[in-house]
Amino acid sequence: MLRFFVLSSLAAFSCFSFGQNLLIKNGIILTVTKGTIPKGDVLIIGGIIKQIGENIPAPEGIKIIDATGKYVIPGIIDSHTHIALIGTNESSEPITPEVKMRDVLNAEDTSIYTALSGGVTMVHTMHGSANPIGGENIVLKMKWGKTSEEMIVHEALRTLKFALGENPKQANVAGMGTLRYPQSRMGVNAIIRRELSKAKNYMEQWDRYLRAKRSKNPPKNLTPPRKDLRMEQLADLLRGKMVARCHSYRADESLEFVSLSKEFGFKVACFEHIPEAFKITKELAAEGIGISIFLDSWAYKVEASEGIAYNAAYCTQKGILVSLNSDGGERIRRLFNDAAKAMKYGGLSEDEALKLVTINPAVQLGVDRIAGSLEVGKQGDIAIFNEHPLSAYTRCDMTIIEGDVYFDRAQYLKEREEMEKKKKEDELKKKGGKK
Amino acid sequence: MRKRAFIFAAIFVLCLSFSLAQEKSPRIIAIKGAKIIPVVGEDIEEGIILIKEGKIDDVGKAVTIPADAQVIEAKGLFAYPGMIDSFSFLGLQEITAVRATVDSSETGRFNPQVRAVEALRPDSMHIPVARANGITAAVVIPTGGLISGQAGLIRLAGWTPDEMVVKNSVAMHIQFPSISRFRGREAQPREETSKQVEELRELLKKARSYQKIKEVAQKNTLLPLPEFDETLEFLIPVVNGQLPVIISVQADNDIKTAIKFAKDEKLRAILFGVTEGWKVAEEIKNSGIPVVFGSLYAMPSKWDDGYDAIYRNPGVLAKAGVKFAFSSSSASLAKDLPYHAAKAAAFGLDRREALKGVTIYPAQIFGVDEMMGSLEKGKKANIVLADGDILELRTNIKHVFIEGKDTKLSSIYEELLEKFKKRY
Amino acid sequence: MKISKSLLFISFIALVFFLTASSSARVGPTYAIVNCKIIPISGPPIENGVIIIRDGLIESLGPKEKVYVPEDAEVIKADSLFAYPGLIDIHTNLFLEPAKEEPQRPGAIEAMAAEPQAPDWAKQVDSSAFQLIKPKKSDIENFQKIGITTVLVVPEKGIYAGQSVLLNINGDKKETMVIKNPVALHINFTTERRAYPSSLMGTIALLRQSFLDTEYYSSYKSQFSKSSRGQKRPEYDPFLETLSQFVIQKKPIFFNCQNQEDIKRAVGLIEEFKLNGFITGANEAWRVPGLIKKAKVPLLVSLDFKPPFTSIYINQSEELKEKAEKEIYPANSANLYKEGIKFALTSHGLKSSEVLENIQKAIKAGLPVEEALRAMTIIPAEYLGVSDILGSLEPGKIANLILTSGEIFGEKTKVERVFVDGLSFEIKQPPKEAKPSALNVAGKWKAAISGPMGEMEMTVELMQEGNAITGNISTEMGKWEISDGLLTGNELTFTISATIMGERMEIAFSGTAQKDSIEGILSFSGGSAKLKATRIPDMDL
Repeated sequence: MLRFFVLSSLAAFSCFSFGQNLLIKNGIILTVTKGTIPKGDVLIIGGIIKQIGENIPAPEGIKIIDATGKYVIPGIIDSHTHIALIGTNESSEPITPEVKMRDVLNAEDTSIYTALSGGVTMVHTMHGSANPIGGENIVLKMKWGKTSEEMIVHEALRTLKFALGENPKQANVAGMGTLRYPQSRMGVNAIIRRELSKAKNYMEQWDRYLRAKRSKNPPKNLTPPRKDLRMEQLADLLRGKMVARCHSYRADESLEFVSLSKEFGFKVACFEHIPEAFKITKELAAEGIGISIFLDSWAYKVEASEGIAYNAAYCTQKGILVSLNSDGGERIRRLFNDAAKAMKYGGLSEDEALKLVTINPAVQLGVDRIAGSLEVGKQGDIAIFNEHPLSAYTRCDMTIIEGDVYFDRAQYLKEREEMEKKKKEDELKKKGGKK
Repeated sequence: MRKRAFIFAAIFVLCLSFSLAQEKSPRIIAIKGAKIIPVVGEDIEEGIILIKEGKIDDVGKAVTIPADAQVIEAKGLFAYPGMIDSFSFLGLQEITAVRATVDSSETGRFNPQVRAVEALRPDSMHIPVARANGITAAVVIPTGGLISGQAGLIRLAGWTPDEMVVKNSVAMHIQFPSISRFRGREAQPREETSKQVEELRELLKKARSYQKIKEVAQKNTLLPLPEFDETLEFLIPVVNGQLPVIISVQADNDIKTAIKFAKDEKLRAILFGVTEGWKVAEEIKNSGIPVVFGSLYAMPSKWDDGYDAIYRNPGVLAKAGVKFAFSSSSASLAKDLPYHAAKAAAFGLDRREALKGVTIYPAQIFGVDEMMGSLEKGKKANIVLADGDILELRTNIKHVFIEGKDTKLSSIYEELLEKFKKRY
Repeated sequence: MKISKSLLFISFIALVFFLTASSSARVGPTYAIVNCKIIPISGPPIENGVIIIRDGLIESLGPKEKVYVPEDAEVIKADSLFAYPGLIDIHTNLFLEPAKEEPQRPGAIEAMAAEPQAPDWAKQVDSSAFQLIKPKKSDIENFQKIGITTVLVVPEKGIYAGQSVLLNINGDKKETMVIKNPVALHINFTTERRAYPSSLMGTIALLRQSFLDTEYYSSYKSQFSKSSRGQKRPEYDPFLETLSQFVIQKKPIFFNCQNQEDIKRAVGLIEEFKLNGFITGANEAWRVPGLIKKAKVPLLVSLDFKPPFTSIYINQSEELKEKAEKEIYPANSANLYKEGIKFALTSHGLKSSEVLENIQKAIKAGLPVEEALRAMTIIPAEYLGVSDILGSLEPGKIANLILTSGEIFGEKTKVERVFVDGLSFEIKQPPKEAKPSALNVAGKWKAAISGPMGEMEMTVELMQEGNAITGNISTEMGKWEISDGLLTGNELTFTISATIMGERMEIAFSGTAQKDSIEGILSFSGGSAKLKATRIPDMDL
C-alpha cells in the first residue's frame, strides 16, 4: 500500500553526489533479507551494490576494505529522530503543518557523526511532538562533511507529523503551558478535525475555482482563493501526497486517530512511540499501520507507564511492521543494542531483530527500493561491526554510505593518538620554556 | 460416611501441608550441572551449588547433595552471582515526570539525615523487571543539594521495606560543587565553588567538634550536653571514617579537587560518575579511591574528548588500577546494568573485569563482600541461572535466587502481555 | 539699553535657531584641495592632483597643471596627502539606539483562545530607520575618523525589521543628511520570542506565506481596479501595502544571513518570488561560492568575522575555534575575491572602533587593498543605484571625499580631513598622551555667555574623572547635558546637548581652564558665542 505513495513522490534526484567504488572483502555478510554469507564480499560501484558473494574479483584500483572476522550489515536506519535541525518545534501555535524541516537543516550538527559511530546511515528527522499537527519531516543520509542538500533522500515518502496525548496537550509543562488550547485529548482530536475540515473546505474552494476557470464560459471577475500554505499541506495529506506519522502513547488515542484518518481519508503510515501498541495489534495489523518505537524506555510519563519490552517482538509476531528509533542524538548510537533486546523480550530471530533497524524502517519511509538490506541494486549503505551486531560486546567499526567511508574507527584512533602525542609535545615545550 | 470424612480430612491436611510447604523455601537446594562462574576463583564446568538456609553452603565440581535437597537441573545453563547495582533509584521512582511518584531527592543543601531506604516502595513495578534480569541487590541513593543523604543497600525481594533493607546506610552522598562547564550547565565561578567546598569543610569540622563535646559530656554528666543537631549528628559516622562518602563528580579538575578534599578531611571515599576520569587516571589510582560509573547512555561533554569517551573511560581506569563498579543510575532501566558493563567491554575493558564490575567489585566497594558479590561458600545465595553470558543482550534468565529463595521472575511486562494476548 | 533678561534669552535662542535652520539654504563653500595624490576609483591615480569643490559637488579634478583654481576657493594644502572617495558603509546601525529589553508581552500570558491572535511580526515592517535615528556628534566623529561619509542605517530587530535610510554624514540634523529614504526592506532570519513564529522553521514558512499573500493582494487589487462592478472590494491591509512595494514593485529587500544555510534560504526565496534581493551579513559566504555565483544576488559582506553558532569550526575543539575566529572567518572576503565574486564590505555587527582593525585583518588575510576600497566605494554605490552621484571622484558627483596621511587602510594612516556634501570636517587627532590633568575643574561655575544679542548668565556644574569631563548646564529652558568633555593640561573641550523649542542641538565648547576660571568659544551650526565662567566657591552653596 505504501508503494503507491512511493511512486507518487519518486524523483530521479541522484544528480548531486555520485557514489564511490568499494570492495568489502571476507566479512560475515548479514543481508537481513536474503540470509547470511559466512564469508563473503560486497562490491559497490558508483555507490550501488553490484555484487554480493564469495571471492568477488577486485576491479583494478578499487579501494578494498578487509572485513575479515567482521560483520557486514545494511546501514542502520533511524526512523524517528530530531538531529541535524535548527529547532524542533514551532510550539507557539498548535497547528503548524506549513513548517518544513527542509528549511532548517543543519549539516554541521555533530549528532550526524554520532549517528555514524552507531552504524546509522539514514535518519527520518522530524518536527517535535509539541503540536497536534506539527510540520513536514525529512529523510537524510548521514553524509557528514557534505552540504545539507546532498544529504536529502528525495526518494522518501513525504511525511507530516501529528502528535497525541500528553505532549501536545502540554500536560508536563508548568506555568505558561496551561494556556494553549488544546489542554485535553478531546481538544487535540477536535482541533485536528477542525483543521482537516478547513482543509477540505479549502480544497473544495480551489476545485470550484479551477472548474469554473476551465469551463466554456468562465464567469467575469473570477478570482482564485488565497493560497494558504498551511491548508496546502493538509490538502496534500488528504490527496495522498503525504502520509501521517503520528506520535501517540495510549492505545485509545491511537484508535481515535485511526477513526479520524478514516473520517477524512488520509493514510497513517506509522504511530510513533506507542508503547501500548501491543494492546491493539488487531487494529494496527488490519489497517496496515506500522509502529516506530523504543524497545524498553518507559515510565517517564504517565502515558508511558504501561510500556512493556515485549512490544516490538509481539507486534512483529502479529504482523505489524515495527521499527526501533532513537528520538534523539544519544540512543541513535545503540539502536543495534535495542534490536538485540527484541530477541530476549519476545523471542524474535536474529534476522527479525536486525530488520527492526534496517529494512522495516526503510519500508516505512518508502526507501526500501534503495536501502535497508544488502541486495544487488540497492545503495551501498553499510555498517561493519567487530562482533555480531546483536551482541552486547559489539562495536561499530566502519560506516559507509553509497560506497564512501564516512566513519572509520581505526582512522579515528589514529587521529586521537596523534592528537595526544602533539598535546604531550606541547606540554613538554611549555615546561621546557618555563625552565 | 466416616471413610469419606477421613478422606476429606486427609486431603485437607495434605493441602495444608502442601501450602505450608510453599510458604517456606526448601531448606536445602542443589543447583546441579551448570557452568559456574563464581567470579572469585576459577570457573567450574558442570558444577554444583548447595544452598542452605539462604546461604551458599558449598560450591564445586564434586559436592555431596543431601537427600532432602530440592535439586534444580541446570545442565547447559550458567550460574553467576546476583548482580549489584551501585547507584540506583529502584523503589524511589515510579514515573519520573510525576513528582508524587518520585522520592529520590530532597530540597535544601545539607540533608545527611535523610535515608533513601526510608522512601522505598517495595511494590515498585521496576523491581521485578530488574530482578528478572539478574540483579539481586542495589545501592539506592538520594540526590539533590550538596549533601544529599544516606544511600542504603537493598535486596530486590521483600514485601516491606524492612524485608528489603540489607543495610540502612552504606554511604553518604555528596554532590560535589563543580567549577567546570559540564554538559551544557554553565560553570559556577571558581569563587563560588571554593566557597561551597569551604562550607563543606566547615560543616565537617563542626561535626567533629560536636562529636567530641557529646562524648565528653556523656562521660561527665555535669558538663552541658549540646543541643541535638540533626545535620551534625548524621555527619559523625562520616567524619569518623565509619561511613564512606560517595562523591558525585564529573570533570577532571573537579575530580582532583574532590580527591584532595577527601584526603584532607580523612574521609573514606568513593567517587561517582567520573566521566572525565580517564584524564586523571593516575591521580585516582594514587588516591586509592574506588569509582562507580554512572549510566553509559550519555554523551561526552566535549567533542574533542572523542565520541567514545564515556565508553572507553572504564577501560582506561581499570588499566590504571582503579577499582570500579557499574551502575544503572535509574529505576525504570535498572535492568540494563549488565549492558553498561558490556558496553565498556566493547571499548577496551576486559570482559571478566566488566563482570566483576557488577558483582564482586561493588560488594567490596560498599563493604559487603563478605556476604555477596561472588559464588563462594558462606556468602548469601544470590545466584542467577541463565542460558548464556549475563552481560549479553540476548541471554535469557531462568532463575534468580535471592538468599536462597527462587524468586518470581514475572513483572508488569508479562502481566500486561498475557492480558492482551487474550484479546484475540 | 536694558532689555529684559527673558526677552534677551529668547532672542538669543531664536538667532541660533535661525542661523541653524537657514544654513541649508545657503550656497556651500568652495574649496581647492591642492597637491594631493588622487585615487578616483573611476580612473587611474593622479599624482600632484587638484580637486575643486563647489557648493557640495566636485567641480573638477586633475593634475595641478590642468586644473584652474577659482578665486573664491579656500585653498587647502594637501601635500603628501591622499584623496579618496568617502567610504560608503551600506549596513550600519549608526545613530540607532540599542534596542531596549522587550517587556513581557501581555498577549502571551493571557489564555490563548482556540484561534491564534493577531500577529506581532507585521508591526515593524513600517519601522523607519529615519524616524528612529538620533544623530550624535560623537557617533559622527567615530565614523568620519575611519573615512566613512555615507551610511545605510538599517533597523536591527525583528523578522521584518523595517526600512533603511541612506545618509551623508554631514552634521547632526537628520533631514540634511538624507540621500534616499526608504532604501530597502530588511529581513532577518530570526524568530518572535513567544508568538508565532517562535522557531526558524516557522519564520521561513511565514516569509513564504507573506510573499504569496502580497502577490495575491496585489493581483486582486489590480483585477478590481480593472473592473470593479460585481466584485467585492479588496480589504485594506497596511502590512501587505508596504510589502507590495518590495515584493511587487521590486524595491530592494536585504536578507540578513548569519550562516551558509541562511544564504541558501535567502537565495531560495529571492528566486521563488523573483525579488530584488540582496544578501548581507554573509560571514559564511566563502562556504557557498558556487551558489552565490549562480544566483547573481548582490552580496554585502560584514567585517564582523564571528563564526555563527552553527559552525562546525567552533564546536569541535578550542584550538579550531580560535583558528576559526582568527584566521578562517576573517579570510571570508579574501576568499570571495579569489573566486571572482563581487561584494561590498559593511560594518554590520561591529563597533565603530573595530571597523578599521577588521578591514586590516581582511587585507592581511589576502584581500587586496584596492578591492577593499572598491568594496566600500563604487560597489555599494552601484548596489544602491546612486553610482551617478557617489562612489568615485568624478566631476559632477557629490563632494564626498577623504584626505588621508597615507595609503588607505594602512597601519599608520590617519584620516586628516573629511568632506561630506562639500562641507569640510577636520578630524581631531586623539591627544598623544592623555596625562591626568593636575587641574581640577569639578564643581559649580557661574557662566556668562556673550553673543550677538548681548549677555546671558547660567550655572554650569562639572564632574571630572581623570581627564574626562561631564556635567550639566542649568538654563531657563531646562538642564542640558554636558558630555564628551576632555581636559588636557589647560585645554578644555566639551559638548552641550541642548533642546531648544523641541529641537535637539549640539553646541561645542573649546577653551582654556584655570583653577577658578574658564574661558572659551561656544560653536554651533551657523554661529558662535563667547563663554566666561567663574567658580562658585563651596561656601556659597
